[in-house]
Amino acid sequence: MPRSRSILTRAGSCAGSWTARALVALLLIAPLPGCDHGLPDDGVIRVGLSGPARNLDPRFATDATSERINRLLYRRLVEFDEQRLPVPGLATWQRLSPSYYRFRLGAEGRDFTDGSRLTADDVVATYASVLDAANASPHRAQLATIASVEALDPDTIDFRLSLPDPLFPAYLAEGILPAAVVRSGRKLTDAPIGSGPFRVLDWPEPGRLVLERRTDGQVMELLAVKDPSVRVMKLLRGEIQMLQNDLSPELIDYLAGRPGVDVEVRPGRNFSYLGFNLEDPLTGDPRVRLALAHALDREALIHYLFRDRAESAEAIFPPDHWAGNSRLAPYAFDPERARALLAEIGHGPERPLELTMKTSSDPFRIRLATAIQAQLVPVGIALTIRSYDWGTFFGDVKAGRFQLYGLTWVGINTPDIFRYAFHSASIPPAGANRGRYRSPRADALIEAASAAQDLGEQARLYRELQGLLHEQLPYLPLWYESQVLARRTELRGYRLAPDGNYDGLEFVRLAPASALERR
Amino acid sequence: MLERLLARLGASLMVVWGVCTLVFLLIHLVPGDPVAVMLGEGARPADQLALRAALGLDRPLAVQYLDYLARLAHLDFGTSLHAQRPVAAVLAERVGPTLQLAIAALTLGIMVAVPMGVLAAQHRGGLIDRGAMGFSMLGAAIPNFWLGPILILVFSLWLGWTPVSGREGAASLILPAVTLGTGLAAILARMVRSSVLEVLGEDYMRTARAKGLSPAAVLWRHALRNAWLPVLTLIGIQFGALLGGAVVTETVFAWPGLGSLLIEAIQTRDYPVVQAAVLLISLSYLAVNTATDLLYVAVDPRVRLGQ
Repeated sequence: MPRSRSILTRAGSCAGSWTARALVALLLIAPLPGCDHGLPDDGVIRVGLSGPARNLDPRFATDATSERINRLLYRRLVEFDEQRLPVPGLATWQRLSPSYYRFRLGAEGRDFTDGSRLTADDVVATYASVLDAANASPHRAQLATIASVEALDPDTIDFRLSLPDPLFPAYLAEGILPAAVVRSGRKLTDAPIGSGPFRVLDWPEPGRLVLERRTDGQVMELLAVKDPSVRVMKLLRGEIQMLQNDLSPELIDYLAGRPGVDVEVRPGRNFSYLGFNLEDPLTGDPRVRLALAHALDREALIHYLFRDRAESAEAIFPPDHWAGNSRLAPYAFDPERARALLAEIGHGPERPLELTMKTSSDPFRIRLATAIQAQLVPVGIALTIRSYDWGTFFGDVKAGRFQLYGLTWVGINTPDIFRYAFHSASIPPAGANRGRYRSPRADALIEAASAAQDLGEQARLYRELQGLLHEQLPYLPLWYESQVLARRTELRGYRLAPDGNYDGLEFVRLAPASALERR
Repeated sequence: MLERLLARLGASLMVVWGVCTLVFLLIHLVPGDPVAVMLGEGARPADQLALRAALGLDRPLAVQYLDYLARLAHLDFGTSLHAQRPVAAVLAERVGPTLQLAIAALTLGIMVAVPMGVLAAQHRGGLIDRGAMGFSMLGAAIPNFWLGPILILVFSLWLGWTPVSGREGAASLILPAVTLGTGLAAILARMVRSSVLEVLGEDYMRTARAKGLSPAAVLWRHALRNAWLPVLTLIGIQFGALLGGAVVTETVFAWPGLGSLLIEAIQTRDYPVVQAAVLLISLSYLAVNTATDLLYVAVDPRVRLGQ
């Protein structure tokens, strides 16, 4: 026994000595920020995100997280109301002629975080920068109708268009940057200067962004935690006070029953659909698409997979959108009709029609595809599911290498989506008509709606277009997923947005302990 | 010695060149277009052409390749297509966390594996041996995507000892290091055990015992030192792999390392980041392998470079 102890002791001194020294050195040489592993009690509000911000320059950001955070850092000329109509943001506007708009900056939100005042010159510089081809801004195409932008005085900006557009203000949602920074050629990718309600205090590492609310100095940390289970555990332990979306229904149910956590749900606008390749001999046949529409029991999918946290959709725009169509009748779940349609092309349960659906490798999307696959079996469709990493999946979809795919349009406000996604001139790489849908009637409606100088007329034409799309089914509309917030009970005042933005952080606060006790 | 070292470095440079060439060619063969990534769907053809020209992508592949090598020689890795920041800066902020996690996991793995392997060898067939090898089998079999969340559940949520995830405070390093280090310790312990067992059967060990050396001296001074060579090789390989990033562990613990950056860059087709990250990982492997070779000489004077 003493011998064993001696060996162990020596083992510790021999094998362990340099490793122990290395460990100490590691902690000394590369100190981690802070040393306290208890729960922080510093009044900072911590928010769990599913991914990090990548680019905090609104001219170049394209990912949803960056765009949502940029809304907190920069202000825009226009905002949107509940019907998604443009309303004044930084500025009000007048339409002086069909292709001539004058914008007047208001008094609110005009202080940049560097202390300078936001003027018309900053607006001009921002838009000129986006429109400069040399800057390769991904937002340039959307502003293609701008012929010139000019500052009349510190508060007034004139936009002249190459084509008349009554909806033009809706496209001016670009965050405004200081002219001096823009003209210096600097990109604000990691050191933003905006006039939004928040400013960046620190960005110590890619997944950790520290913001300060400018009205009251409230500090917030946005923490990227990709794994949803880990995000939930952080919320339960109190390491974060809230998280929003990107949770499986099981995790939402689990959270809903936990003490100290509240779950809020509100209808969303992000539109999920099945896309068809119309150049494929099978999915190009309208009977196949119609059979699929009748074979899918969307209500069951919403009930069992989403636990009723989604609303069935008939078009890209929900009915309460100013150009939404509330008269579209849902395709009834009618397996008999689906079987009859498939029988017309010689298929049925005995001789199933073989189709392939591509989806991303997200586990929930795969589960969804599997449920769809199961629903199609009884009518005689054998669906093969192929899941790929996002880059490969999206690359295949853009290249038209698919029969069916599932995707979601996020943050769609303006009807230019119809030209972008359904016009025959928008087949990739010229646009997002990924299914290669070619309809002279749809093209004519899109052209007529774009040319209409009255919003009421535009709305009428877009409703007619949505009726046509509903009938011809280049997309099979599925649902609008609800927005979900899970928060610690001490966090108050957050308002969920229908498109999942983080604007509610402007109003959120930590309740004092006494308020919690009364609760 | 110096001559051999220089030869080794020359060979390493050839490997680096090979990796650069391979990555360049593969990136250009994989479907996807950086211009489409930057401008998005629906950009005007004229803008696409202009950007393609501005990025030099309209030039012949050979010209692009030579330009790529020239920029590499000046340590110019280009700009990230998504972050719009220099790739060097994007990579730099990931190197520290990657090194930290790799060194911590390796240290932990060695601290557990060496005593465990030696004791298992010393008590071959006994309870300690069976226990150690049971741990080893389990440790190698448990996937990190399971072990990580379980450790979080127990040590963060139930016991409240460590943060759930993130890189805040020294305590936040513990769980990711244990998650990564467990598998490493399991593999290393087996190697240490078999290596020590092999050495214990050598004639010179019998001589050492016959000289009257204590069992501890025989084991730790003679057996372990001679058993180090294969273990060092394995440590080198494992360390190289850790420097390449531990994607699963980084994802579970929201650790901002190289692995998750590389996966993200591949998924979003951020080609300059992919190219530079692969190059950096290859260089790490080469550096670790060269360091391992040099360590051989330090551990065993009979070994000379190139022999």
